[in-house]
Amino acid sequence: MAALDLNAIRAVIEGRLATELALAPAIPVVFHNMAYTPTPSSTWVQCQVSFGNNNYVTMGTGAGASNSVIGVAVINIFSAKGVGPGASLIVAKRIRDLYVRINTSGVRFDPPIGPEVVATPSPEGYFQTQVRLTFETFEDL
Amino acid sequence: MAFFRGEQGSVKFDDAGSTTATIASTRSWSMTIEKDVLETTALGATYKSNVGGLIAGSGTVELIYTASSADETNVFIKAANTATDQGVAAFELFLDTTGTKKISFVGLITSADYGATVGELEVITCNFVTSGTITTSI
Repeated sequence: MAALDLNAIRAVIEGRLATELALAPAIPVVFHNMAYTPTPSSTWVQCQVSFGNNNYVTMGTGAGASNSVIGVAVINIFSAKGVGPGASLIVAKRIRDLYVRINTSGVRFDPPIGPEVVATPSPEGYFQTQVRLTFETFEDL
Repeated sequence: MAFFRGEQGSVKFDDAGSTTATIASTRSWSMTIEKDVLETTALGATYKSNVGGLIAGSGTVELIYTASSADETNVFIKAANTATDQGVAAFELFLDTTGTKKISFVGLITSADYGATVGELEVITCNFVTSGTITTSI
């Protein structure tokens, strides 16, 4: 038992997505703090993992105590503009199916939120939808 | 002035009444010590008077289910469902992490509430009563 390895949690989330989107039809995926220049009108995915509230779960301040750590993975799906949402929703389904109510490597995912249409895409020139995955893991000291 | 927060507490238990072990994943505990009151008001008195009588304690330990096995935590959550309980289990309820501020007593677990609710951690609530001396080293 040890303090949480944040990169291990991030790897669980990002690795799962990278593996899925490498399958045919492969879709480029970019993560936090990475440079990426998308091909115009292409479909691509951006995944941003953030950690949020940490809470006491059990008594104790040292060995044997547990904390709850929650976070969110915001997954933006970009697809060609002006051709409807179909392509975006196909990708969104792959992503939802990948995380919905699973508990893997100690990371438990809630039912996904979205895909929601983003009114002002960033970057511009794409149709953007967003799937948000709230997750929880436990830190056992 | 020292103040304490709940996470500094803990619970130890041993069903055989000897060496206590920490109950894992304890979320809370509470205990009430009650004293019987015997009225000694004299005839004609204006005000009532009382003296203390027998003392007993009862309380609750709330813990999160972790599927632990072969340890005192597992014994603790199953203790209400054991036959011929002689009431010899040792309890220690700690108020701080140094392990010196505690309420200790012998007693027995009288009930356990188990439950599972969608979206929430599974919690087991065990209720106990004391049997004999209660030591308040607090």
